[in-house]
Amino acid sequence: METPERDESLRVIASIHRDGIGLDVKPVDLCFLIALHARASQNNLTCFEEDVLLDVFEQVCEAVDSDGEPLRKRATHAIQRLREQRLLSRVDGAGIVRAGDYSMTRLASSIVEFFMADQALTRESLSLLTKALLVSLAQVRSEAKKAQTADDWRVSVVGPLRVTVGDLVAGIERRQRGLDVQQEGVRQQIGQLLDADWFSALDRCQLLLDDTTTTLSELNSVLLHDAHQILAVLSDIEQAAAQARMAEAEEAAQRVAEQVDRVAAWGRTRQSAWSDYYQYVHRYLRDVVRLDPSRALSERLRNQLAGWTTQPFYWVVAQASKVRVLRESVVRAHRPPVVRPAQDRETPLEHVPSDSEAVALEELVRAALASGKSRLSDVLDVVLPQIDAAKRFAAVGRIGAQVAVETAARSDRDRPWVRVPEDIQVEDWNLPGGRPHA
Amino acid sequence: MHDSGFTQLEEVIQDPLFPEVDLALRAGRHIDRDDGERYAFVLDAQSLLEAFYRRFGCELVHASDGFFYLLPVGDRMGRRQLTAGEMLVGQTLALVYLEPTTVQAGGVTQQSVVVARLASLVGERDLIQALNPRRRKYDERIAQETVRMEIAKALRGLESLGFIDLGEGDQVRLRLGLFRFAEAVRGLGDPAGALARVIAEGKAVAETAGDADDEEGGA
Repeated sequence: METPERDESLRVIASIHRDGIGLDVKPVDLCFLIALHARASQNNLTCFEEDVLLDVFEQVCEAVDSDGEPLRKRATHAIQRLREQRLLSRVDGAGIVRAGDYSMTRLASSIVEFFMADQALTRESLSLLTKALLVSLAQVRSEAKKAQTADDWRVSVVGPLRVTVGDLVAGIERRQRGLDVQQEGVRQQIGQLLDADWFSALDRCQLLLDDTTTTLSELNSVLLHDAHQILAVLSDIEQAAAQARMAEAEEAAQRVAEQVDRVAAWGRTRQSAWSDYYQYVHRYLRDVVRLDPSRALSERLRNQLAGWTTQPFYWVVAQASKVRVLRESVVRAHRPPVVRPAQDRETPLEHVPSDSEAVALEELVRAALASGKSRLSDVLDVVLPQIDAAKRFAAVGRIGAQVAVETAARSDRDRPWVRVPEDIQVEDWNLPGGRPHA
Repeated sequence: MHDSGFTQLEEVIQDPLFPEVDLALRAGRHIDRDDGERYAFVLDAQSLLEAFYRRFGCELVHASDGFFYLLPVGDRMGRRQLTAGEMLVGQTLALVYLEPTTVQAGGVTQQSVVVARLASLVGERDLIQALNPRRRKYDERIAQETVRMEIAKALRGLESLGFIDLGEGDQVRLRLGLFRFAEAVRGLGDPAGALARVIAEGKAVAETAGDADDEEGGA
């Protein structure tokens, strides 16, 4: 069964695809958004007048991109781009009457926050968030115990679970993603440090590894401890909702519990993955970097490989033949070969009656010629009435052919066309004297 | 689970891990720290297993980089030498292992990276010649395809010997056993002398690739 959330996400996906919505934020647009965010924070602005937008854009361009195009024109295009992508919206509603007021959308704020805010999870921020979560949940639990009506449940339990508690857990998840990015950065940093300084980078790499390991370990212990408490409170709320038959509240509590489970699972998987990475790098530092401080091994191996084709050698490895396991003997049942039953493949001949009509027609024509008919039309006048009406047209041709063979047929200079039975017209021939048939 | 120390060979053989470790070693597999309890088992039973395999004309080698393998020194145990493809790819992988960029990826690289490095270090012409030794004339497209096939075959061979793990897509996880390919250049002395030493020890042979491919033995 599809959940409402899944329905909603499918609807959003479909609408984005249908409307062809996409994001194409150029670096200058991104800088512009960050500068707007900074201006709003400094001056406590909730929206920006058009002049402020232009002013901020001008400052950004002076700092990062002084293209030759007129600034005002570029600002107009930038504002238009941001509005089209729902990053900036006009909020005054005055239309053409006066210049507008604009504010950054939630999407724009999120993008800016991603680049600006230090959202990585720390022990302090995680403890603070989990404690706040526990306090909120304890309050919801006590409200759940007091709730009498469906409205009480909706206002005091479902609402806080979805908004307050949901936002707190989402805050933890967001910071977890921040820490993921930070870890990726640490990996990159270790690679760069080794590439640049090799042996001299050992201590700094070790420090980076240890810092991240400590952070993850602390976070995981906080998560393990607090997640257990949070899930216990959520279980109480779920139980109370089930007793009161409040399916909506029960479902909201389950949803938060799933989120908390996910948060706790994150801690376990990240710590395990980092542990593998830690071991690998530690081994690398010990076996490769420490034992080869001048990177001579790489150089010698490179030379060995480059010269291998001229001076090849091959490592020897064991290759014991596999133990041969004999197949168990089985008594095979006799299976006769597949054959077809014997049969006479010669098809017997069929007796087919000869075409008596053609013979009869020839006889009729000969009889007519023998009776002294001197024109083709006369022959046809005699013969055609004796033939089946449906076959007369075809018979005219055959009769003509026979007459031509058996007589010395002649045609007048003006070839006369004569009507014969069945409303057929033929070119008449003279049959002078006839010719005895064969 | 095995105890931390074995006092008698019987205990080693009775251990549940013995059959799979024994079969792996006899198949030429290199067992390293990433093999976890199998590595720990060989480490704990090292002295007993060394004596055990010596009776089969084999030496249980424990490399200082942290991996074990079985080296046949007599005729009792079958042996084979790596193919030209396995040697070339193995050395390239060892080189990639040593690079700092591999650290960032946690010891994982891509097959395409290996092919590119191999071609740039050995030279495309020499590589084609090395992997198509019997062909004097060749069509470039066919030869390149053959090289790619030989490299893929070599990677599978190296995986079965415990040098690498092949992952999803064209991912290759590098393992400690790859350091064996750097054994001849480990010291600071003359590389030719070091190579002569490993050949004299029976760890390697210096024969033509054609001969190497043909040679196979049985226990």
